[in-house]
Amino acid sequence: MFWNVTLELLKGFGATCYIFLLTLVLALPLGLVIAFGSMSRFKPLSAAVRTVVWVIRGTPLMLQVIAIFYGPYLLFGITGFNDRLLAVIVAFVINYACYFSEIYRGGIQSVPRGQYEAGQVLGMTKAQIFFRITLVQVVKRILPPMSNEVITLVKDTSLARVISVVEIILVAEEFTRKGLIWPLFYTGAFYLIFVGALTLLFRFAEKKTAYIKV
Amino acid sequence: MEYLRVEGFRKKFSQTEVLQGVDFSLQKGEILVIIGASGSGKTTLLRCLNFLETPDEGKIYLGGELLSDASVRYSDRELRQKRLKFGLVFQNFNLFPNYNARRNVSLACELLAKARVRAKKRELRAAEKGLAKWNFGKILREAKAFQREEIAKSRQRAEELLGEVGLGDRGDAYPYELSGGQQQRVAIARALALDPEVLCFDEPTSALDPELTGEVLRVIRGLKGRTMIIVTHEMAFAREVADRVIFMADGKIEEMGSGEEVFGRPKSEKLKAFLKRTEEHEW
Ligand SMILES: Nc1ncnc2c1ncn2[C@@H]1O[C@H](COP(=O)(O)OP(=O)(O)OP(=O)(O)O)[C@@H](O)[C@H]1O
Ligand SMILES: [Mg+2]
Repeated sequence: MFWNVTLELLKGFGATCYIFLLTLVLALPLGLVIAFGSMSRFKPLSAAVRTVVWVIRGTPLMLQVIAIFYGPYLLFGITGFNDRLLAVIVAFVINYACYFSEIYRGGIQSVPRGQYEAGQVLGMTKAQIFFRITLVQVVKRILPPMSNEVITLVKDTSLARVISVVEIILVAEEFTRKGLIWPLFYTGAFYLIFVGALTLLFRFAEKKTAYIKV
Repeated sequence: MEYLRVEGFRKKFSQTEVLQGVDFSLQKGEILVIIGASGSGKTTLLRCLNFLETPDEGKIYLGGELLSDASVRYSDRELRQKRLKFGLVFQNFNLFPNYNARRNVSLACELLAKARVRAKKRELRAAEKGLAKWNFGKILREAKAFQREEIAKSRQRAEELLGEVGLGDRGDAYPYELSGGQQQRVAIARALALDPEVLCFDEPTSALDPELTGEVLRVIRGLKGRTMIIVTHEMAFAREVADRVIFMADGKIEEMGSGEEVFGRPKSEKLKAFLKRTEEHEW
């Protein structure tokens, strides 16, 4: 019995991990693009990007998932779109990219101007200054807020069930319908272990960059 | 013969005209000291010389040739070439915290060496072009050897420079492990690594505790023979090392002359008042 439940939950947890990883892999670079957009010296672009970020951060992720899934039908009467998992991924990537972009922006702007200038007077190119000097400093600075955001993402994956994407909580709920309550609480263990591993990973990364004192 | 000539530098920030037509020239190997009250435009002048700021007007001549003209827009590439003629030591060091002292000094050299290696590769490839079959292995081997040699040279040079500023044994230390005086000495070594024609210092000791200024000034003194421009509030030091002194006030050169003239026989009222103020400050 316990074994069966565990296997079933693991299947659901697979979907959870899939949403988590795909969101992370896509949102991390997209966030950087958005960050550069919001820092652009071209005012209309930065204003537009900041507005989008405001809307995304200002509304619940659950609402965004629903909007992405039902939006095409409600707005344009498009019916072919019913890939639930895709809708979840799109909503998550946009949402998390916006949060990441603000973290990046804070990190990039917290590197003192003098660092760029020291690179410039040494004849370095913009790319050399970014990749050799500022990037590592930015990474070091954003590790703590990033670890927060990434851990939140692990748990936000449970929002996928609002459009019936099968993930671990939804699987557990199936059991409650059959009269088994404990699997629902058992899911907590999966999250705890996953988050625990991530915490260790981030702690390791912070240790690795401890030599950079900024 | 004049080596460096600055002609008609003007710079405006929104409303205020921070530089209102600055002209001066310098011989090769001379030390120019710039003094003046806070806000008189000394930093802005150095920043313009190092192309961190573009003056609204003005020209720089170096070695008898026009180096830059504010009315011309230069590409990033050209600007980088021109920047290499000047070095700048900042008031607050600006060392790269992610590299140790040795790498701080050698980084720029290594990056330039990489560019030379790329050029060399192109050259080797071009030389092989005439042949029926390219010898990729050989090109790769030669380029690799050349790269190793160049990088080793940069590191070697960094090691020497650290020795020159008295930090030969601290090459592995990260900036945070060094005192302010040591950090500034690394910054000086870093500026020397590219062997600039003119080395500029912006108040190199004013971020330091008083007991640490001595070691930095000693290093700068040891560089005598290089063409240098030093902005400083250390009047005793200025008087000692200066071949020529400029006193700036409100974006203009108020008085210019040898150390003896400017400190010993000041003419303008502003300079007299300034010297009096700093004297009171020092005692
Ligand atoms: N980027 C800037 N934008 C606007 N104003 C500036 C800028 N940089 C400098 N200024 C102004 O220009 C004036 C001259 O500044 P500068 O830093 O050149 O003076 P300074 O002689 O180096 O003074 P200090 O001895 O305090 O270092 C100051 O009034 C300053 O406020
Ligand atoms: Mg200044």
